[in-house]
This record gives sequence, C-alpha cells and structure tokens, in this order.
Amino acid sequence: MISALSRQLVKSTPRLFLRHQSNVLNPKSVVFTHSAGPVVLKFTDQHEWLSHHPDGTTFVGITKYASDALGDTTYIELPHDSVGGTVSKGDVIGSVESVKSASEVYSPVDGEIVEVNTALEENPELVNKDPMGDGWIVKMKVGELDGDLLSEEDYIKLLQEE
Amino acid sequence: MFSRRALLLWPKGIRHYSSEPSLLATPFTDLHIKLKATMVEFAGYSMPVLYKGQTHIESHKWVRTNCGVFDVSHMLQHRIKGPNATSFLQKICPTDLRSLKPFHSTLSVLLNSNGGVVDDCMITKHDEDSFYIVTNAGCRAKDIEFIKSELSSYNEGSGIEHQTFEGALLAIQGPKAQEVVSKYTSSDLSTLYFGESRFIPLDGFGSSEKFHIARGGYTGEDGFEISIPDIGVAREFFLALLQSEAVKPVGLAARDSLRLEAGMCLYGHELNEEITPVEASLNWLVSKSRRSDKFNGSEKILGQLENPKSVTFKRVGIKSKGPSPRQGNKIFASDDQSKQIGVVCSGSPSPTLGGNIGQAFINKPYQKTGTEVLIEIRGKLRPAVVSKMPFVEPKYYRP
Repeated sequence: MISALSRQLVKSTPRLFLRHQSNVLNPKSVVFTHSAGPVVLKFTDQHEWLSHHPDGTTFVGITKYASDALGDTTYIELPHDSVGGTVSKGDVIGSVESVKSASEVYSPVDGEIVEVNTALEENPELVNKDPMGDGWIVKMKVGELDGDLLSEEDYIKLLQEE
Repeated sequence: MFSRRALLLWPKGIRHYSSEPSLLATPFTDLHIKLKATMVEFAGYSMPVLYKGQTHIESHKWVRTNCGVFDVSHMLQHRIKGPNATSFLQKICPTDLRSLKPFHSTLSVLLNSNGGVVDDCMITKHDEDSFYIVTNAGCRAKDIEFIKSELSSYNEGSGIEHQTFEGALLAIQGPKAQEVVSKYTSSDLSTLYFGESRFIPLDGFGSSEKFHIARGGYTGEDGFEISIPDIGVAREFFLALLQSEAVKPVGLAARDSLRLEAGMCLYGHELNEEITPVEASLNWLVSKSRRSDKFNGSEKILGQLENPKSVTFKRVGIKSKGPSPRQGNKIFASDDQSKQIGVVCSGSPSPTLGGNIGQAFINKPYQKTGTEVLIEIRGKLRPAVVSKMPFVEPKYYRP
C-alpha cells in the first residue's frame, strides 16, 4: 500500500503535486483497504474516480477537484433502486447537490451495483471531507476495466488543460 | 459528474475568465482576483461568485451574522430628471412616485404595454422630478433602449434628461453593517432608516465629495448600498472595509441564496416580460393611489387587481426535503399526478433553515400555504409544500 502511494507521489512533478495532490485515494478508507491490492485507480473526464480491486469490487465517487468545485455538499441522491441490478457506463447513478447546483454522477463502467454509501445520507459533507475515501458513492462489481478510462496522469493533464 | 447546468454555474478554467478581454470589468475586478475569488461571467461582466477562505454556506451565514461587502457595480445606475420626470416614470412604473418623499427609495418595476415586467428596479427620489434608479446588469441594453423609446414617445418628455453612469456600487449587508460603515463617515447612520437615503462624506480617502448611501439591500438583512463614482475612493474604501474583522467580501453565490431566503425576486427567474406584478405576487408595487390611474399595462394589471379570480397563477414559496427544486422543474398536483399545476422559478437548499426553499408559479387552487404538491426532479416526483415568504424574517432597520 505504502509503495503504491509513494509511487503516485513520485510520478507527479512538484508543481502538479501542489495543486492535485488530493486526487488520490485515502489509504485508510475502505476504497483502498478493501483488498490487499493491487488497487487500480482510474478517472473519467466527468470527474468521477473508481478504485478497482482484484475481486472485481469497485468503488466509485467524485474527485477532489470536483468536490472542491461544487463546494458544500448539501444532499446526495443514491441509486437505491439499482442495488442488485446492473448499470451501463454513462448511466446516472446519483447526484451531488450544493446550494448552487445539482450535478449528476455517471457510472464510469458497466457493472452491478452492490451497495450504496448510506453514510452520505446523514453526512453529505463526507463528499467534501474525504471525496476519494469515505465519501465514496457506490460500490460495484465490475469485470475487466474499459480501456478508455483515464489514468491518474491523464486526469491531471486534463485538469491542467482546464 | 458535471452536468451542463453545473458547468454554467461553476465554469471550468475559471482563471481564463479573469483575463478574458471580451468581459467587462468593474472597478474592483483586479481586487477580487487578488482576493482569490472564483470569477464567473455574469451579464457580460467578470464577477466574483465566491472568495477563497469561505464556502458558499459560510459566506451566506457570515452575512446573516456579521457583515458582507458585495461588488454590485455591474448594476446599471440611472439619473432621470427634468420637468415631468415624475409623470414619465409613473407611465412606465405602477408606483406612486409623486407622494414618495425626497431621499426615500422604493422597489418598482418597468412595465411594457402588456403589463409585463421589463425589469425590476430601485427608485430613489432626490427632488421633485429628480430620480436615481438602479436596474439589473442583465437587462442593461434592454433597459436603456426601453427608456429611450418610452421617452421619445412621451409627449411631455422634451425636458427630461436620462443618463446612465458607471462607477462603483457596493452593497454592505448584515447586522454589523452600520457599525462598520460608521467608522468611515461622520454622518450619523443611526438616523437613516430602511428605505431612506442621503449623501454622506467618506472620511480618510482624500475626497471631500459626498456619496449616495441607501439603507436596504437584497439579502433581508440590514445594510446599505453606496454609490461611489470616484473609483479611486471606491477602491480605497473597499479595501478599508475588508480590514475590519467583521467584514468579508461576498460573491454572487451567497447573494442568490440570501435573496431567496428573503423571498425576493430575481429577474429572469420570478420576473419576465410575460409576467405581471400581480402574477408575481407584487401587488404592493401597484400603489393604492394609482389604482384608477393609467400606466403601461394598467388595463390588464388593474383588471387583475379588481378581479383576482382572473389571475390563474401566481408566485408562491415552496419548501421541501431531499433533492432541491431548481428553476424549470415542473410541479404536479398531489391529488392528480398527471396534472401539471406550475413550474419552479428558483430553488436551493437554505443555509439558514436547512431543507430546501424555492419560489414557483402555481395555478389555482393550489396556491394556499400548506398545500402539498409534487415537484419533478430528475424524473421523479418529490413532495413539497406551498409555504409563506419570506422564509427568513427580514431585519430591516426601522424607527
């Protein structure tokens, strides 16, 4: 785990590190500790992240960048109706609301929704405090990962361009 | 993750905007950037939506408990004066401006010939036939054209001068506003009440000029709006205000949530050219003394006042839990879910109250406070209740 983390840090240049250091998984959270690893972290250009474990378990949430841009989260809509069912890449699997706006969360992959993070119903601010850890939104069961998901490097590049 | 709507509100690449040459700047734009505000395009201007160091909710609550300073220089300031200026304004507004006392202000609306609202405005009377008016930034070009055209077709208007002017306009809002502004003026603000205005000196900024200050605002809190045409003074004053521990700069994000809690209209949401003041539940803008008078759209508006049954929909407040109603959401009857009975004008979580609040146009007979309705949000019907406004009691400074 520690080597995986430090590898991520080394990959980023110091300048990028300052700005984007937080778009990494919280190593103490279930999104990372679910398995012994290796954990694959991927992103979408819609600012979702996923952590994929060897048993296919995949946590999905919104990135630190997205969480900061949205501001105080006031409400999270979770896909309760879809638990146990399958969703396709691009399907709406929830929404994150702030005072100013509501943003939909799209499934980054095809797969089965296993669980929703009900802790967010009581504490929507978890999405701000720990967006890439305890603020995960859904837990899925996913087969092989799609090739067009973004690596951490690609995602940081995308943020730079934006 | 980011819907198109969210992108409009929280644009990517915000820093591009700050240097976007096509956008207009206020006298404070560079200072907002130095204060690390998130800048967005609003009505052609680069404007601060939120400043670094506070979240939206924190900045909202700061204004309710301390003092926030808002750059509202993007709004359009007008002077209208000359013989028959009062009569002219009474043709385009339903307000009794003749009996408005000098150095008193009132909310009003500019009306088209159908009784629709061209814009809402604050009108301050300075003297008989001399007025200072502030209109919305988003209606800038339209308002200038409207007033020009109305003036050219007004028979007794040859002596009326209409000018718009630029400069700084600051709103200073919150329970500590008087304490804060009093540090910089010898004028006794404790005798300036809500809806009143005067010219005051601003001490210590190298100018002996006096500046127009009006008591009121757009948050439901006590506060002031100060017009400072001298940009040098305005910038010094703005920076001086920020030295005070009670003061934080506040952007458009909290401005909107504060006005919503105060039950106030935002042009383009609760008001537009198709909506009359009566439909917007602004009957009080049609002065009692003018209810047999003539003004733009008076036939329709006075007809609606005389015969309330003819008004099929009006603006009401709504409250809900869960996902927030937003502009454009359809409203359905709870006793017949296939029947659309209205539409949401504005809605958001309320930082002061918790839960969601909103304003909506709702048909009869679903307008009564306490009526349960259903709002379609992301394809699902969600319960909401018609509620009285304002949602948060105003704290205006009155004698």
